[in-house]
Amino acid sequence: MRYWVVGEFGSGAEAKKALGRLRELGHAREKLDAFTPYPVEGMDEVLGLKPSPIRGFAFVAGLSGAALGYAVQWWTNAVDWPLNVGNRPLNAGPAFIPITFETMVLFAALTIFFGLMWLFRFPRPHHPLFELETFRTASTGGFWVSVTTERREETEALLSALRELKARNTSVVEEAQ
Amino acid sequence: MAEQASETPTKDPLEPVPLIEGAQSAESLTASLLRPIERKPGLIFWALLLLTLGGTGLFLLAVTVTLVRGIGAWGNNIPVAWAFGIIDFVWWIGFGHAGTLISAILVLFQQKWRASVNRFAEAMTLFAVIQAALFPALHMGRPWVAYWLVPYPNTMRIWPNFRSSLPWDMVAITTYFTVSLLFWYLGLLPDLAAARDRATTPRRQFWYGVFSLGWTGSARHWHHWRAGYLLLAGLATPLVLSVHTIVSFDFAIAQVPGWHSTIFPPYFVAGAIFSGLALVLTLLLPVRGSLGLNHVITDRHVDILCKLLLVTGMMVSYGYLQEHFFAWYSGDEYEMASYADKRTGTWAWLFWFQMFSNVLLPHVFWFEKARKNLVVVWFAALAVDVGMWVERFTIIVPSLAHDFLPRSWEGYSPTWVDLSLLGGSMCFFGLLFLLFLKFIPSVSITEVKELHHELKEELAAKEERERTESPLREKEA
Repeated sequence: MRYWVVGEFGSGAEAKKALGRLRELGHAREKLDAFTPYPVEGMDEVLGLKPSPIRGFAFVAGLSGAALGYAVQWWTNAVDWPLNVGNRPLNAGPAFIPITFETMVLFAALTIFFGLMWLFRFPRPHHPLFELETFRTASTGGFWVSVTTERREETEALLSALRELKARNTSVVEEAQ
Repeated sequence: MAEQASETPTKDPLEPVPLIEGAQSAESLTASLLRPIERKPGLIFWALLLLTLGGTGLFLLAVTVTLVRGIGAWGNNIPVAWAFGIIDFVWWIGFGHAGTLISAILVLFQQKWRASVNRFAEAMTLFAVIQAALFPALHMGRPWVAYWLVPYPNTMRIWPNFRSSLPWDMVAITTYFTVSLLFWYLGLLPDLAAARDRATTPRRQFWYGVFSLGWTGSARHWHHWRAGYLLLAGLATPLVLSVHTIVSFDFAIAQVPGWHSTIFPPYFVAGAIFSGLALVLTLLLPVRGSLGLNHVITDRHVDILCKLLLVTGMMVSYGYLQEHFFAWYSGDEYEMASYADKRTGTWAWLFWFQMFSNVLLPHVFWFEKARKNLVVVWFAALAVDVGMWVERFTIIVPSLAHDFLPRSWEGYSPTWVDLSLLGGSMCFFGLLFLLFLKFIPSVSITEVKELHHELKEELAAKEERERTESPLREKEA
């Protein structure tokens, strides 16, 4: 059993302050999260998030795409089936550039998208917080802060901590595992 | 609720026209931007749906005729072997480019005004690319073997010739479509989640729930999302330049007088963005009022788009000038004859219409009065849409009809199938666009809310500065 203790705040700045306070109370960063309708500037630092690995994925995928694109053109047109058109070079570098570039972009873009899906663990149509009716504001105008805990007895203390930080709505959601 | 309704920050004397109008809050913005998809469609919607469905039917009929009778149903001949098929292709794919310009390039330049129009322009890109892709496929005559362009190990051991521009086009179009779709959908996820969370019927909740993939707005997700979105924008920017450059190679790598020109790649890219901006304006002006989006797509947006239209119009004019100048400067008789034919031959009236709509007309936007008069803006934009189709016509048909040998000079006239494919594809585009406006938030809610928040912060910081600075100044005085 895991418990999500959540509180709704009026702005990104308040949510950040609340997270900072929860950190001071000794809660591990991994247990904390925020749910906001748009990305809040500075939230990454509060939660101590490392730079997204998606950049690295995209770089590697882009290079592989370019290499593969060129290799296919070279192998098919110059090696496997040399097609002599007016004695033009078989390995025609300049003519192969357009497709090499496009495959680079294609591979990188597909990797970014599906890499993000993997990082998000999407599609995931069910989330314990969706059980909470008031949590619907997280996508429209509310700024939610969450702390997860495995111990039931801790939830009371967390709830009062959130209320002290002037959270408007507070709740505990049980997640069956 | 979460955020108090507050006066929208607009009080910068240097920017008298706001990007977001009225007293807004995150809730009010979400509600107003979701209203078009939540309310029941009106009579106009059904009328337009019927009209575009009818036109799409005509399109399907023309496609069927093309497939059954072959390309002979078109007006193409020898030497004008490429006509409407490629004109419509270049025209449609050009429209897409403004979408990518607005959504990707302006992300990189951190232009805030894009927030209200990017979703709209990206949808336009997707639907225009769909239309564009249909034409080369149909022009093949046997579209069911289009996969022959893809290198796959077949029993005949035949590979595509990658030194030809047809495989380049194929890869460029499919890549462009895929990347635009991913970029669009990634930006859409948080808005679909907002639609899900505000849904009142189980059916809406289910479908928006499915398509939002379980988006919660977690800070950890936003962290990766921002990095990924920016990267996709960075990739889309050179992509958009490359796609129309490759389209221009279809012509520039040929020897035909009137095509064989190094100005083509940049000039085609500028022309594409020019026509795309015009189409954004043509669609935006009637839509924003009827969907109640005047508070986020303000006169300031129209003003900026008009100025961009003027700038890109001048780039295109430079391209025209260079084409004709180099035809003369090269001293090549065939080249000179071809361009002289464009100016004075059978299709001269189209050429001069093009000069009027694409070169002269955008210059009205030097005047603020014209930029503020929506009727003028709409008609000028429409003229550019048409003018850019005419431009592709004057590049393709007169050049082919007037090549090296007078013996091979030939006239050209389109058949009803050509015209139905052109008109029908417009209706098909309209149909897709109509369904988009009905089912998908047509303005990026997330970005508008973020912009609203940023503007408010900026104003607060400015007021704070003024409060602390003015006593200092008084002291100095």
